[in-house]
Amino acid sequence: MAKSYVIVGGSLAGATAAITLREEDAEVSVTLIGAEREPPYERPPLSKAYLRGDVPFAKSLVRPAAFYLEHRIETMFGIRATRIDVARRVVELEDGRRVPFDVLLIATGGRNRRFSIPGSELEGIYSLRTVEDADRIRAEMIPGRRVVVVGMGFIGSEVAASLRQKDLDVLAIEPAKTPLFRVLGEAVGQRIADLHGAHGVRTIFEDTVAAFEGTQRVARVITKGGLRLDCDFVVAGIGVEPVVEILDGTGVHVDNGVVVDQYCQTNVPGIYAAGDVANHYHPVFERQMRVEHWHNAVKQGAAAARNMLGKGVPYDEIHWFWSDQYDANLQYAGFHTKWEQLVVRGRLDSGSFLAFYINDGRIDAVVGLNRPKDVRRAIPLIKARRKLNLGLLQDESIDLRSLTAAD
Amino acid sequence: MATEPVTTLKTSEIPAGTIVAADVRGTRIAVANVGGNYYAFDDACTHEQCSLTEMGELAGTTVTCTCHGSEFDVRTGKVLAPPATVPVKVYPTRVEGDALHIEV
Repeated sequence: MAKSYVIVGGSLAGATAAITLREEDAEVSVTLIGAEREPPYERPPLSKAYLRGDVPFAKSLVRPAAFYLEHRIETMFGIRATRIDVARRVVELEDGRRVPFDVLLIATGGRNRRFSIPGSELEGIYSLRTVEDADRIRAEMIPGRRVVVVGMGFIGSEVAASLRQKDLDVLAIEPAKTPLFRVLGEAVGQRIADLHGAHGVRTIFEDTVAAFEGTQRVARVITKGGLRLDCDFVVAGIGVEPVVEILDGTGVHVDNGVVVDQYCQTNVPGIYAAGDVANHYHPVFERQMRVEHWHNAVKQGAAAARNMLGKGVPYDEIHWFWSDQYDANLQYAGFHTKWEQLVVRGRLDSGSFLAFYINDGRIDAVVGLNRPKDVRRAIPLIKARRKLNLGLLQDESIDLRSLTAAD
Repeated sequence: MATEPVTTLKTSEIPAGTIVAADVRGTRIAVANVGGNYYAFDDACTHEQCSLTEMGELAGTTVTCTCHGSEFDVRTGKVLAPPATVPVKVYPTRVEGDALHIEV
């Protein structure tokens, strides 16, 4: 009998794994289980083009709904997997069904953090993860209405931009000194703050939400700093946590997500993880990391599938993502948490620059504002892990591609 | 619909390994020179309409739209990497002397 490959998580990572399994092997049985009703879809448009009403939902589907049947991928959408019986190698579903597997992929992704402060149960407070979340926010998007965006990470920043583009009155509040402060630092974060300011978003930094007020529906945000911000609704982007409950009692190692090696495999043979939920060992950076971005979902989903088939290919993709805000294209490649030096190519105040995050003379990561080609050209420099003459990085007359072979 | 060759570029204007834009009756078309072979395709990426002439990075016969990472085969228009899902339209080309004809 053909081996049975089961994927828990109808996510981009899960769907990509299912598609890759089928592409690489015509014989194996592939089952994709997803808690969401819709066939797997891409989330980037939810905070941008879809939220603004510029593209239909169908354009976000990873594959048309009919694709899965045509490619003999069994799908169970709108149903939650609740437990894994490792000894019997069975996934249990909420309706009592049991799905046997030989090889299992966990691609359950993340869930949005929620407030636990007074008033957080009021109506009119939203977060964004699913298409239903986006639809609820869209229903509130009437020009001129006042919205408070809580948190200026990537989702908060993109939502603030989209709401502003639809002529809402946007006030954003962020506990750090700038948007994206933790990832990008103050110098780059300040440019993102400037971008929002130039488009008419009012911002409050270094303050947090203490409570929401209103009768039934939110009418006011109260900050720790004592501000009272009247509003018509609230959108929060305050972070994500990995969905790992299904691994309770399995013996699979969970620590900031599902811990996997460079082959996307957990400590339990035959059980793999990919996407937002996977805390994976990265052979280039020689450390564990968990990355919540589109590109990782696609690349790691495919890599996990190949390794589930026994191909033994290390997952060593240099992480990369984009964030479109207004007409600006922000891109990041690499991985860093801290940095000794920030080396800038171009001028930070020019609206187009690259900033390299340097440790021990090596590029760990790069961020580019309106420099998509240069970000791509920097990826081989990051992957090489070699010490570079940092002056050359700053020199605009030097094509970054020419540095790959040089030192 | 019958196609009609249009000459808008000289091959000398398209250095090897680069992509140059051509205006063909009001439509912007990208032309890539891959080792002396010329491939013409719609300039707009099928994902979010970034200009492949401006944002495209050419490596061999693959053009990467650096806006969001979609990759296309310039010979066929086929999508090689998402987020694009729709192929980019390609047009036959023919070289006569120094003139590049694009059949639109």
